[in-house]
Amino acid sequence: MSGKEVSREKRNTFLYLREKIGFKAPPKELQERLKEQNEIKKKILEALKTGPKTVPEIAKETGIDTYTIFWYLMTYLRYKQIEPVEKTDEGYWKYKWVGGR
Amino acid sequence: MKQANEYDVLIIGAGIAGIEAALTLGDAGYRVLLVEKEGSIGGKMALLSKTFPTLDCASCIATPKMAAAAHHPNITLLTYSEVQEVVKNGEADFSVKILKKPRYVDLDACTGCGICETVCPVIVSDEFQYDMRGRKAAYIPFDIAVPKKAIIDLDNCILCGSCERECPASAIDFTQEPETLEVKVGAIIIATGFKLFSPTLRPEFGYGRCKNVITAMQMDRLLAPTRPYNSVLRPLDGKEPMRIAYILCVGSRDRKVGNPYCSQICCMYSIKQAQLIMGALPLADVAIFYIDIRAFGKGFEEFFNQTQAMGTMFIKGRVIVVEEDKEGNVVVKYEDMDDGGRLKEDTFDLVVLAVGAMPNSDITKVFKNVKIELDEVGWIKQVDPNNNPATTSVPGIFVAGCAAGPKDIPDSIVEADAAAAQCMAYLNEHKYGRKR
Repeated sequence: MSGKEVSREKRNTFLYLREKIGFKAPPKELQERLKEQNEIKKKILEALKTGPKTVPEIAKETGIDTYTIFWYLMTYLRYKQIEPVEKTDEGYWKYKWVGGR
Repeated sequence: MKQANEYDVLIIGAGIAGIEAALTLGDAGYRVLLVEKEGSIGGKMALLSKTFPTLDCASCIATPKMAAAAHHPNITLLTYSEVQEVVKNGEADFSVKILKKPRYVDLDACTGCGICETVCPVIVSDEFQYDMRGRKAAYIPFDIAVPKKAIIDLDNCILCGSCERECPASAIDFTQEPETLEVKVGAIIIATGFKLFSPTLRPEFGYGRCKNVITAMQMDRLLAPTRPYNSVLRPLDGKEPMRIAYILCVGSRDRKVGNPYCSQICCMYSIKQAQLIMGALPLADVAIFYIDIRAFGKGFEEFFNQTQAMGTMFIKGRVIVVEEDKEGNVVVKYEDMDDGGRLKEDTFDLVVLAVGAMPNSDITKVFKNVKIELDEVGWIKQVDPNNNPATTSVPGIFVAGCAAGPKDIPDSIVEADAAAAQCMAYLNEHKYGRKR
């Protein structure tokens, strides 16, 4: 059997697991976390629409604390969704959104 | 591929000591089963920036060994797997049960392209970056992981199917089940390494309370090529730190937290990091609060002197408390021993806690009919450290690296090779009848 044939057989195995464990929806805690992540991302994206910004600038615009903003920015950096652009005299980097999901 | 069920040696733990022992045994023709509980081999060394005192790139040393172990004809590698039970039937005869956890990814099909990570919608804390950023529920442990294959973290997966739909290799496989493997081995090497001291046990040093207080392992990540940030930055707000302080002996030589011993590596890794920081941030000031500097190895004293000459301040003093000011800077209050014990305070952008090494000996619980003795603080006891450093209280079971006590990388490698040599002698006598 070729690799391609094997892989075709394995499509949608997540449905198999859903059925096996009786999955209806993600646990509430996970749903809430996902909702919060999406809201934070939306706010960060909105703030970066007008150009590259530092962490304190994004925090000020979004009302989210700097620690959380930076943690998410560095996660986006891992997935190449943001890029550092330039460093300010105060020692903060400005970040710009470069796309992706 | 069908898993063999008999090996000469089982090595538990695939950090640098386990890998080194496996390579030495494999090169000598012994069949080795190398078991690692994480999704990648490499242990802590693969996550470090550089080694001391030579400032060699840690991953440049570790990665070729990791790759060699993964591709060695005499080494079978099991990652994301845990040894669950060991029974000694007689000399050179152990029965072992190993739990192979499901990755939900076909190892043969996955190319490590990372597309599953990109499309996964769930972000969780990245344990390989010591929580300094997030990773996805579908993830590759770290950039230089071996094998560089994805894992689906089912505890955080919402079973949306995005990874499976987008995987170009069709490697996602949610039909995988946990599997228990039963194997026979002739000898065992325990190379489970060490745990890091949890700095929350010393709340006065501010870890968790002050966002700009990090551990030295986190700083090593910041200095490594596979770092979590785009530069050395402080976690509170991403600012480049200009004043950085180290507090040594956090969780070492500390009877209050039950660790009376010196962790042996903290002085030198702090000094190493001070040098690296001066390279990464040439304008930054680095201060090290210490009780004693223990620079005991080859080239260590010279390295310490060089770091002093480069401008790192060494302050002999006990830190009493660490607090955060309104700007998130860290105020360190300390007793200056070189000034008659006067109480002083200083403010830093970032404080690094040089946390000690803790025993990681839980594995001894899986041995059912033999007792592996621990020393008084919980490290695996070397019963004949002068003559046979890898010997434990059970013939046929050996110890390598930091499982027996804290030590630096060169010493871990030397002990791993000692364990491999002792293992060969044991097998030759009890399995192959080739005693001298």
